[in-house]
Amino acid sequence: MKDLRLLKIIGLGMLMLILSACKGSPDDPPAEGAFKADIQLDWVPEPEFGGYYAARDSGLFSQEHLEVHLKPGGPGVPTLQLIESGQVTFGITTADNLLIARDRGADLVALFALYQTFPAGIMVHAERGLHGLEDVFKEGTLAMEPGTPTFKFLEKRFGFHHIHVVPYTNNLSPFLHDPQLAQQCYVTAEPIAARRAGASPFVFPISDAGYNPYSGILVTKREVLIKHKDEVRRLIRAIKAGWTAYLKDPTSANQAMHQLNPTMDEATFEASSKIQAPLIVGSPGTPIGQMTLERWQTLSGQLVELGLIQPSDPQSAFEPSE
Amino acid sequence: MKHRQGAGLKLRGIHRQFEGRPVINHLDLDVAPGEFLAIIGPSGCGKSTLLRLLAHLDQADQGTLDRSEADLDVAFVFQDPCLMPWRSVIDNVALPLELQGVPRHHRIPAAEALLKTVGLGDAQGKFPQQLSGGMKMRVSLARALITRPDLLLLDEPFAALDDITRHHLDDHLQSLWLSHPMTVVFVTHSLSEAVYLADRVIVLSAGGGNITLDYKVPLPHPRTAASRLSTPFIDHLRTVSEAFEGHSRTLA
Amino acid sequence: MKPLSGVLWLPPLMSFVLITGLIECSIILMDLPAYLAPRPSAVALALFIHAEELLKATRHTGIAAITGLGMSAILGALLAITLASHPLIRRAFYPYAVFFQTVPIIAIAPMLVIWFGYGQGAVVAASFIVSVSPIIANTLTGLLSTDPALLDLFRIAKASRLDTLFKLRIPGAIPHFLTGLRIASGLAVIGAIVGEFVADSYEDGGGIGTAVEIALKEQRTDLVFAAVLMSSLLGLLIFWLVSGLNQLSLKYWHLGEFKDS
Repeated sequence: MKDLRLLKIIGLGMLMLILSACKGSPDDPPAEGAFKADIQLDWVPEPEFGGYYAARDSGLFSQEHLEVHLKPGGPGVPTLQLIESGQVTFGITTADNLLIARDRGADLVALFALYQTFPAGIMVHAERGLHGLEDVFKEGTLAMEPGTPTFKFLEKRFGFHHIHVVPYTNNLSPFLHDPQLAQQCYVTAEPIAARRAGASPFVFPISDAGYNPYSGILVTKREVLIKHKDEVRRLIRAIKAGWTAYLKDPTSANQAMHQLNPTMDEATFEASSKIQAPLIVGSPGTPIGQMTLERWQTLSGQLVELGLIQPSDPQSAFEPSE
Repeated sequence: MKHRQGAGLKLRGIHRQFEGRPVINHLDLDVAPGEFLAIIGPSGCGKSTLLRLLAHLDQADQGTLDRSEADLDVAFVFQDPCLMPWRSVIDNVALPLELQGVPRHHRIPAAEALLKTVGLGDAQGKFPQQLSGGMKMRVSLARALITRPDLLLLDEPFAALDDITRHHLDDHLQSLWLSHPMTVVFVTHSLSEAVYLADRVIVLSAGGGNITLDYKVPLPHPRTAASRLSTPFIDHLRTVSEAFEGHSRTLA
Repeated sequence: MKPLSGVLWLPPLMSFVLITGLIECSIILMDLPAYLAPRPSAVALALFIHAEELLKATRHTGIAAITGLGMSAILGALLAITLASHPLIRRAFYPYAVFFQTVPIIAIAPMLVIWFGYGQGAVVAASFIVSVSPIIANTLTGLLSTDPALLDLFRIAKASRLDTLFKLRIPGAIPHFLTGLRIASGLAVIGAIVGEFVADSYEDGGGIGTAVEIALKEQRTDLVFAAVLMSSLLGLLIFWLVSGLNQLSLKYWHLGEFKDS
């Protein structure tokens, strides 16, 4: 009899362990007052989030009766899992990650795409005199995070047989010490830091090689979109206004972010926000944050080819903005 | 050429204290070469300390200890047989010769012979874990004897064993001493064992290590089981016992 | 009829079946999505489908872990012997031995890359750093806890320091060393995997650490768990090998034992 009770206690304990993985979603709006929304950033506060801080600090969110909390992230922050488990309402990620999450069963939707051009690139030492991205894969060492769609794309497109591929750990010193090392980068970050450390970096954009997913996209669960259609519309409006303001003058938002991220100095903030501007704006006349079905379809096809997802219609992956 | 007789010892004014309390109190003692000396006394009377001093495992605070030769071969037998469990019986016995650099083809036959003497000729390939307490003690004795020591020191070696085994081991020790002349200093709790084995019995007082009785036992060697029940033996035992009890009573 | 408790593999097998069965049912009953909690059946399926790659990755990590453990055994034992030789040496250098235990390997891994380059060099170094401490600590304890009566015996027999070290202290310390080795075996695997996050070379597909990273990036939670399971099995395998060494030392070299299962 005692053994049966012990078994029940063990079973209950394990059920509780599993239940704790499934948190309740905090997206029920308060009875009255502003709509609370938290946005999980997928990195530390840097110019790639400038428009959000501009919107927050110039009152654009509160004007739309929104109470927005910006949650800085960092290396390894599981943005999509946080949204999926309901711990945050909104988050920022890249379009390829979104399509993969949808393929794994999460019904997430993209609402806004900041970067019309993918900021990722391969950074090399200018002294190597390389002419095109294909030269990077002829010899030397490449530091890249394994398993990303970009990794698989480059592997398929150029082949890694002639180079030594090693992990990239957000550390610039291997690059600075090895003139034959190439590494992944975001044009808004590593090249600027490398230049300041005295190196002469040169960047080959990944988008030039034909891989150009939307990036800096804002995503949420479809149920949130359905339940709070109006609030979401107001949120996107505020975000667009914030980015428009930031692109005009990034100074105060940069200062606010620098407070949160003191390891990046003000000069770098300035250089970074300058470099990202053309990637955000896209072709003239394009409204900020816009997404087209065609580009989502292109991306979807590429991911299917890379064996990352099953074929599917990406129509429901994004909510076209007005 | 080594002394075939055994070492002579001369202790003068030996004083040893621990934490301010004297364990051996200005002791004078002479031990003749080849003598079998038994030391008895209550717990804490310094008998183990005295043995350690004789073995040069410890240094006296005051006094002199003269040994008849500068370079003595000393062997020690503890209450725990202290065999190395990773070595076979024969390799345990041969250890002291091994440590002196004696090659294997010399030391193994010597060890074999000694094991036969203590009745363990068949056990040489065994390991200590396979032996009984009495057998382990016999191995320990054989190991002590293998270098033909000048001085053999034993600290209550048979105390952990039952009476029958103990009597057997007393006889083994006696025959080893008779066939290998050496000085033996034997510490024991057992009065009858002391009287049975020794030429001379010394009783140490408690808490100070003074000699309260220095008694010669003139019984002939070899002594046998029958000796234990003979009248002279019982007389000697009574004398020693009275001295031992008497002194203990004055302390109580 | 042998009692249930007598069959060695039956209790752990039963508990394994019970626990995985419970997890599977809970996940189904609570309708948890796969991207939050993969079902054990899905993990098993992923293991089966990707068996070849996972085995290759396990071999990759296993070689590094065993090499790291081997280095820990040899260098750890030598360090312990050095520390045991003199109390002054012990006081001066033991804190550095403790350093191995407390250094966060993630923090110094980039430095390992600078010294050993990418690939097995740095990964083995990481595995060594993480696993050497219990071997030093346990072996040192063994060397310092030699039977004092035997030490006295050696002194009386006028044994040289070298003889006392090789014929008494070291054989007596072997059970302690093997205990340290048992503890270190799991740590060697962890150290290798952490080293792989920073320094793996992807030429032959990489090790288990890389497999976990890739599975995370591809949002394949079932594969993540499958890879983690392989790392546990690797740890168990190495532990089992060391236990076998322990049994041998007991049976054939009579090098003593400690009472444990």
